[in-house]
Amino acid sequence: MEKSSSENAIPPAAAPLKLFGSWASSYTHRVQLALRLKGLEFDYVEEDLGNKSAELLRHNPVHKKVPVLVHGGRALPESDIILQYLDDAWPETRPLLPADAFDRALARFWCHFADDKLGPAVGAVFASTGEDQGAAVRQVHDNLALLEAELRDGAFRGRRFFGGDEVGLLDVVLGCGSYWLAVFEDVTGVRLVDADAFPRFHAWLRDFEALDEVRETIPAVDRLLEYARGLRHMLLGLAGAAAAPSAEAGPTAAAAPAAGAADIAVDI
Amino acid sequence: MAGEKKQGLQLLDFWVSPFGQRCRIALDEKGLSYEYLEQDLANKSELLLRANPVHKKIPVLLHAGRPVCESLIIVQYLDEAFPATPTLLPAGDPYARAQARFWADYVDKKLYDCGTRLWKLKGDGHAQARTEMVEILRTLEGALGEGRFFGGEAFGFVDVALVPFTSWFLTYERFGDLSVEKECPKLAAWAKRCAERPSVAKNLYPPEKVYEFICGMKKRFGIE
Repeated sequence: MEKSSSENAIPPAAAPLKLFGSWASSYTHRVQLALRLKGLEFDYVEEDLGNKSAELLRHNPVHKKVPVLVHGGRALPESDIILQYLDDAWPETRPLLPADAFDRALARFWCHFADDKLGPAVGAVFASTGEDQGAAVRQVHDNLALLEAELRDGAFRGRRFFGGDEVGLLDVVLGCGSYWLAVFEDVTGVRLVDADAFPRFHAWLRDFEALDEVRETIPAVDRLLEYARGLRHMLLGLAGAAAAPSAEAGPTAAAAPAAGAADIAVDI
Repeated sequence: MAGEKKQGLQLLDFWVSPFGQRCRIALDEKGLSYEYLEQDLANKSELLLRANPVHKKIPVLLHAGRPVCESLIIVQYLDEAFPATPTLLPAGDPYARAQARFWADYVDKKLYDCGTRLWKLKGDGHAQARTEMVEILRTLEGALGEGRFFGGEAFGFVDVALVPFTSWFLTYERFGDLSVEKECPKLAAWAKRCAERPSVAKNLYPPEKVYEFICGMKKRFGIE
C-alpha cells in the first residue's frame, strides 16, 4: 500500500470508489456484495488477470492481485482488509462486524478459517482426481462439519445467518465462495455439501443465495459452470475438444499460467 | 495477583513462539496483567485442546474463560475489549488502520514461512528462500519509511506483529548468509529502537537462544 503522508487529507466518505476485480473471483464478489449491502456506489473495472493493467499494479505493487478498492485515490488491497475498512470509513451504514469484542474475534477467526482451511481444501478437490481428491473431499467435509457444529450448538446456534438475523462479515466471506461448491460438484461429480450431512450449512447457503444483493453479485450459474469446466481441464492437463472457455469468460483461463489461476475461481 | 483474577486473563503460549510474543507484548503495552501458561506442544493439554479445538495451536487468550485464538485476532481483541488502554491499531483514521492490517498480514503471509524454508531447505529451495527473505525485509523497510515505528511516532500494531521476528534475524542471517544491518539498515535501527521498550525487552528471547532452538529442531527433523 502507498504510505500515506500526514499532509494528505483523509478522503471524505463521499469521495468516489473504484473497484478493480475479476468477474470470477470470489474475493472480488465479497467486496461488491459488501458495497451493495452498505448502499455504496462504486465504479467497477474488470481486470484481465493474464494481462494486468498498469493501474492495478500501481495500486497493489506488493501482491499484484484483485480486488483492490480505490477510495479518493487511496488503494486498499486484500478483501478482508477492504471489508473492515468499509465498516470503519462508513460507520453510519449497516455494519459487517458485530459490536461485541468477543463476537468480532469469533467472526475474524472463522473468516480466517474460510480462507486458510476451507477454501484451499475445496480448491484441492477441484484440482485433483482419484485418491488425492478423496483425501481432499474428506478435508472439506471435516471443515464443513466444524461450521455445522457451530451452527448447531456452538457460537452461531439458532441463527439464520452467521451475523444473526442479517448477514455479516462471515456470511459475506463464506458465502462468496460457497456458490462454487455446487458448481464444482457438477463439474467433478463429487458430492461436497450434502443437505443431510450438513443441514444447517445447506439452509444457510440457500438463504444467503436468495438475498437480492447476493443475486446481483454472483454470476449466472451457467457462466460459472463453463468457466469451471475450462479451468478443470487446464488444471488436470486434459487435452481435447471438450468445452474450452469462451471468450466471454476471458482469454485468461485457456492461456493463463498457473499464477493466473491462483488468483481466481479456485480460491473460495 | 489480584489484577489477574479481576481481569481474568490467561495466555496459553510456548516460550519461543513469535506469535505468542506478540500477545505478551500487547498485554504489557496495555498494562494488563495476565497469567502465563506455558504449553507442552509435544503433549497438548486438555485446556489447550478445549480452548482451540479447531487448530490445537497457541497462542490462545482466555478472558474470563472464553478463548480468543490467533495472535493478530488476539491483539485486535485486546484493543476492542480494553478501550481505556493504549490503542495499538491507529484510532480514528480508517485508512491508517487498513494499512496497519495490511502490513501485519504481510508479515503473517511471508516472513515465518520463508524463514522456515531458509533453515529447512537446501540447494535451489534454500537459494530461493534467501532471495525471498531479502526481498521481504526490503519491502518491510520500505513500509517503515522514515518513521520511528511502522505507524509513525507511536509503537503500534505492525510493530507488535513484526518485532518478535527480530529475535529470528540472527537465525535468518546465519542460515541465509546475509546481514540485516547491511541489507536494511533502517529496519535494523527500528529493531534496536523496539528493543529499548520494556514490553519488548521483557518478552523476547536472546537471538542466540532462538538460533540454538532452531539447530535443535533441525537435529530432531534429521536435517543436516
